[in-house]
Amino acid sequence: MALLQIAEPGHTTAPHEHRLAVGIDLGTTNSLVATVQSGEARTLPDESGEHLLPSVVRYHETGVEVGRAAAEHVVDDPLNTIVSVKRFMGRGISDLSLFGDKLPYTFVDPDQSAPRIHTRGGDVSATEVSAQILKTLRDRALHSLGGELTGAVITVPAYFDEAQRQATKDAARLADLNVLRLLNEPTAAAVAYGLDTGGEGLIAVYDLGGGTFDISILHLHKGVFEVLATGGDSALGGDDFDHAIAAWMLAEAGLDENPDPALVRLLMRTARETKEKLTTQHEVRVELDVDGEHWSAQLTRAHMNALIEPYVRRTLIACRRALRDAGVDKDGIIEVVMVGGSTRTPYVREQVGAFFEREPLVSIDPDRVVAIGAALQADILAGNKPGDEMLLLDVIPLSLGIETMGGLSEKLIHRNTPIPVSRAQEFTTYRDGQTAMAVHVVQGERELVSDCRSLAHFELRGFPPQVAGAARIRVTFQVDADGLLTVSARELNSGVEASVDVKPSYGLSDGEIESMLRDSMVHAEDDMKSRSLREQQVEAERVLEALDAALAADGDVLLSGQERDDIVAARNRLEAAKSVDNPVQIRTVIRMLEQTCEEFIARRMNTSIRNAMKGHSVKEYVHETNSNEELGD
Amino acid sequence: MISGAAGNYFELFDIPVSYTVDLNELRQLHRELQKTVHPDRFANAGAQEKRISMQQTSLINQAYHTLCHPIERAIYLLGLRGVDFSMDNQATMDAGFLMQQMELREALSKAGDKADPLAEFDRLEKEINGSMKKLQDRFQQVFENDDLDSAKELVRKMQFLYKAGQEVAELAAAVEDEMM
Repeated sequence: MALLQIAEPGHTTAPHEHRLAVGIDLGTTNSLVATVQSGEARTLPDESGEHLLPSVVRYHETGVEVGRAAAEHVVDDPLNTIVSVKRFMGRGISDLSLFGDKLPYTFVDPDQSAPRIHTRGGDVSATEVSAQILKTLRDRALHSLGGELTGAVITVPAYFDEAQRQATKDAARLADLNVLRLLNEPTAAAVAYGLDTGGEGLIAVYDLGGGTFDISILHLHKGVFEVLATGGDSALGGDDFDHAIAAWMLAEAGLDENPDPALVRLLMRTARETKEKLTTQHEVRVELDVDGEHWSAQLTRAHMNALIEPYVRRTLIACRRALRDAGVDKDGIIEVVMVGGSTRTPYVREQVGAFFEREPLVSIDPDRVVAIGAALQADILAGNKPGDEMLLLDVIPLSLGIETMGGLSEKLIHRNTPIPVSRAQEFTTYRDGQTAMAVHVVQGERELVSDCRSLAHFELRGFPPQVAGAARIRVTFQVDADGLLTVSARELNSGVEASVDVKPSYGLSDGEIESMLRDSMVHAEDDMKSRSLREQQVEAERVLEALDAALAADGDVLLSGQERDDIVAARNRLEAAKSVDNPVQIRTVIRMLEQTCEEFIARRMNTSIRNAMKGHSVKEYVHETNSNEELGD
Repeated sequence: MISGAAGNYFELFDIPVSYTVDLNELRQLHRELQKTVHPDRFANAGAQEKRISMQQTSLINQAYHTLCHPIERAIYLLGLRGVDFSMDNQATMDAGFLMQQMELREALSKAGDKADPLAEFDRLEKEINGSMKKLQDRFQQVFENDDLDSAKELVRKMQFLYKAGQEVAELAAAVEDEMM
């Protein structure tokens, strides 16, 4: 058998080996890590049994604290204790004005790119702060699971733009996590409820957290999820409920309309406790002690419902809007998934149920449901569930365009286009002998570049000089399955590949990430080298494993004897090279093997495409069409 | 390089080259293909396989997107017949169509004053969709008859209506925003 000739004796990667993979919900207020063990997804607690990790990082002169220990110092050490860092991910200084004057941090912006927060431990970017949270969760997973982590699925809000997704992925890289996929939070929640195994239809995911509200409409068909539309309000959440109750207390108790900060904290805490009690009780006694005076009153659930009604109504208008954007009617919704701690409030459940005319799904803890879904997807992507048909397809949430004359955005890839997607555009030069060109990429729906979000400036260089207008520079924009953009360029007359220098508008360049990686390995260059060696070895193992499987499956059919011999020879060179301790050398041998295999891999892919279409028998197709018609799809 | 499994987008999905496309069937075929080549199927593969999978999936998505979209599908079909639509800027439209457009604009500008503007937007949307459907049926006919000039004019009309439809959606969204 062919496979036996090329498999090394004692080859470690047995087919049934369980790979450790985790799902991470990197939240604004709290973060979680979950994994699948013995077929069941569960969130992992820390040593003291707590599952939720407050997304708070506190910087000291040396070292950091993450989580509850840090959260205790939000009030007494605000400048060095970073909360809600998710709101700053992939954002520039100018965006931060959106948060008003409320931010206690000192921002420094030396080079107009990623703003940094000044702390006593140094200036840190949002990416680095998030990396600390991810590192804490990674360590928690390694500690409780043991062994090596294959990778992680990290969730992001469905509306996150490219810069925000890139910042999240960069944070994972700094935390030494291999990202299997960035997954949209609503999709993860739907996966947690096993809706992927269900039939066909529309799913609404209603996510009401402390300070944000998101509504997403997904389409599900035979294990394929598509995000049809997302909407919401980034300044609406359960905190508004607390405010409404606190305002009522203030008025009822006849207290000063402008309470001091200490009283505000007391009111907010009492309000939150009252709200939580009214989740199970129908009436509670609210008590306050202010300046030695005691005040108490009864609050019924009905009364609280009236207080929070305006906020709940706003969420429902956003739901209506999302349905319109998705181009669907609400009677097409087959399931409503509830996410976020604020969906525990009975009034929210009632109103959402009434709006969508069906009982929402609430059986999974709304704080953990996203992490659980991410863990299930991580388990599949790590290869632990071969044969699983689930596939989560995504669309690009906002259009990608380039700046043209007059500051207008020419859209290259429209929003809601399925990703990955690529789009090529031809440019020419306007000056004789021109060898470089700048391209400005923006994201957003508006026509004026100034109304869109600037993503990056790409500088293309190194194409041969020609007379003005003669050069034909084909620029290809590629958006991958995570929604991240790469750009490549080629001058068509000469075939010269132009080099592309990326300057992200908000965020970190590759060089900056490299230097942060170096800085994070404080003591030794050895750490950096050993990490890069390990990365190349893992890549070599991946390549070998995939190639062996490919050869075993299709080598006889798709390759001539000579082609096969060449591939096996290149394969064996890599097998030999992977044990040397030189990452550059391993990388070179991988490249050589890739060149030898390019045609084989392309042939395999094309064959599977043809087979997929051929396998679509007439009978099955007739059945499909009929069932679609019956469902009025 | 990306060597597609087939020559054009229709062949990729193994469906007949025609303006009439069964969108349910196409969606189904698209998902079948995605299940085979999507990068998630190669999450543990080497970088090269990931890249090729991403390129193939991009091609499939581009093909799907083009064939689903009534106007892009028409332009693509004309392209297969050698008509380069991007070079064409003339806008000759018959008086009847222009009249209808003006009435539509008028209704659009007054919709905000109606007692229930959202209902008015819904009505306009329906009207536009109805006209669009007629243009599509007409395109199908003239394209089959190889009347490419008429086909081009129909595409321009569709583009006109499509823009109007987008404006309706934007105005409706603005009204909804105010209600939030």
